[in-house]
Amino acid sequence: MECYSELTCAIFVDGELGIEEARRLQDHVATCQRCRELVDALRAENRILGESLHELPEEAGSPASFSWLRTSWVWGDLAALAAVLALVSIFSAWVEKLRIPEALEWLNPFSVNGLTNLIFNLSYYFAHGGTAMLADYAAVVGGLFLLLGGGALLLGRRWRLQQSGLRLLIVLLTMSLPSFALERRHGEFVTVAANETVDDTLLAAGNNVRMEGVVNGDLLVFARTLEVRGTVKGDVVSFAKRTVVSGTVEGRIYNFSQSLDLDGQLGHSIYGWVQSLRVDSRGHVGDSILVGAGDVTLEGEVKRSATFFAGNAEVSGSVGRDLTMAGGSLTLPSTARVGGNLTARVRHLKNVEIADGATIAGKRDIQVRVRKSQFTRPRFYFYQAIWLAAAMLVGWLGLVLVPGFFEACTQAVGSGWRSFGLGFGTLVVVPVTIIVAAITLVGIPVSFMLLAMYLTAIYLAKIWVGAFLGRALLKPAKVTKRDSLLGLLVGLLILGIVGFVPYLGGLIRLVVLCLGLGAFSWQLYRSSRLAITT
Amino acid sequence: MDAEVKKAQGTRPREGTAKEMEGLDLESVIERARGHDAEALGEIYRRYVRRVFGLCRYMLDSRESAEDATGEVFLKLQRSIESYDGSIPFPRWLLRVAGNQCIDALRRRQRGRQVIVEVEDATVIEAPSSELSPLGAVISTEERTQVRDAIARLAVNYRVPLVLRYYGELSYDEIAQQLDLKKNYVAALIFRAKQELRRKLTHGSK
Repeated sequence: MECYSELTCAIFVDGELGIEEARRLQDHVATCQRCRELVDALRAENRILGESLHELPEEAGSPASFSWLRTSWVWGDLAALAAVLALVSIFSAWVEKLRIPEALEWLNPFSVNGLTNLIFNLSYYFAHGGTAMLADYAAVVGGLFLLLGGGALLLGRRWRLQQSGLRLLIVLLTMSLPSFALERRHGEFVTVAANETVDDTLLAAGNNVRMEGVVNGDLLVFARTLEVRGTVKGDVVSFAKRTVVSGTVEGRIYNFSQSLDLDGQLGHSIYGWVQSLRVDSRGHVGDSILVGAGDVTLEGEVKRSATFFAGNAEVSGSVGRDLTMAGGSLTLPSTARVGGNLTARVRHLKNVEIADGATIAGKRDIQVRVRKSQFTRPRFYFYQAIWLAAAMLVGWLGLVLVPGFFEACTQAVGSGWRSFGLGFGTLVVVPVTIIVAAITLVGIPVSFMLLAMYLTAIYLAKIWVGAFLGRALLKPAKVTKRDSLLGLLVGLLILGIVGFVPYLGGLIRLVVLCLGLGAFSWQLYRSSRLAITT
Repeated sequence: MDAEVKKAQGTRPREGTAKEMEGLDLESVIERARGHDAEALGEIYRRYVRRVFGLCRYMLDSRESAEDATGEVFLKLQRSIESYDGSIPFPRWLLRVAGNQCIDALRRRQRGRQVIVEVEDATVIEAPSSELSPLGAVISTEERTQVRDAIARLAVNYRVPLVLRYYGELSYDEIAQQLDLKKNYVAALIFRAKQELRRKLTHGSK
């Protein structure tokens, strides 16, 4: 009998041949080896086709964009999503920036390079009193950490991945610690001799640090005094009480200290927060200055713009482009030269003194800031609303995640003087501990963590006090989650409003901060002791 | 009727009932879905979205259009599920609906013209049968990926029937009906598609 065509065999294998014909083909295959092999091969081919097709490609496996039935979004999902986003953004930012100055960015939630401006602006606007500023600064960093921690916890809860969440947190913490090649030196006097060259980044800690040689990397210093007489090819990050730069720094200077004196040459910019900044007549800044300072004296030259948030600023040297100043008073003697615009924001017009001989190429824009104006601006209320919403969210997270701890902290506020005393002590002692830990190099990671915790605790303080206040006022018969949240809202509203009372407001904020911090510390101490005994 | 659909859409599936759905057998889920139960529809979506999306992805060229088509299939399901009579297994019925949706999409793109036009001389060029299909030797995942890539590179008139047959597991008749072709022609198309595929794979591997 004649063999069947391949097409017929294929149709047969697909099970689509008519019953009669299929039977005949089957009989034929039983006797003809060639056709049997063909049919087997076609069967195998079909099987592979099916298998290959059913194994969906990666991208096809996740049709993510359908949402028509996904209506069961609950708050938990949203919070988890937010936490994941925060984790991802923070994580990626840290992976990207493992260079040394950025390793210190724990102090600053934003990038020093790009957003220093923003942070100084922010702190300036908020800085009416010391505690208020600290609290607002804490809001940023603390909020970030809360989100991180809360996110990890929440994720852990939802997907029973508590361990992984914790691990992730640990990885995050380690990523943020300095983990690069660097040379460390510490001692009472740390010196880099004039004929010496350090190729790596130099991390120096001590009482006096004197740099006369050459550092090819960055210079990171924790000290009482830092003198740079030699050359630093990278950036200088200084936490010294007093910093004097009379040599050459080719990069930038990041300075958080009491005073900074520049007599030498600086390739790029100065960023910092100092009590007093002085650029000597021999001093030269290759780029710009952006500082928050008590007093600024600028006798030398700034190639580009200068921006000060300062109590008093005196500019007798030259600024290549714009001079922007906000704060107390600005003096420009006849020797002053400004290549661009002059912008000043002061409280009173008389606080700006510009000598007749002073040259200002651009416009003069002097604004008198009226302090009360913030209450008339809608933006102020917008920010307050955001502040309140954030605090409520944090409170809600606390109630959901650690209800027992939340409750205990709220009640601990009621102990009054004990909380206040403990809080005040914590407020003062912790920063000292952080600085001490940072100076003993080994303690740098500890100090970073302490700082993060400190700022988080400061942020949380008002929440405990708010919750306590709300409960004291509303006196709910039974404490449910809803009542607690309502109480928190009422308490926070009252605290927010009272905090803006002139003069008294700052004091109240301080009291609230101490009370909350004290309650939190007390509760932390108790729960840690409990954990040890059990 | 429309109002009813809206109502069904508006009902939010609660977590408790969604969990309870998971354990339910297909018949009861379909039964409840017929009554516009949003949770049951959600459950069907959850169980079959991957398969439907896979079919659309193979039949259409872009991920976006595949996602659109998938969305359409499940949107229409709220109404069309009433017409499911249980004579064929539900997955197959659903894939048939999805196949129709994709063919509509392809037709729209060709401004209403038929997706596959029957050519008069539908003679089949027989491949020399001594040469066994290279597909027979495909075992590893990597090779399967190659097979999928080769399928993706097939012309529409080969790809669509091939995918409907071996992924959608539709019969020749069903495919013929969907594509508005004769059954014999479908058989020939599938056969030629496989020949083309073999050719692509042997050339690709050399």
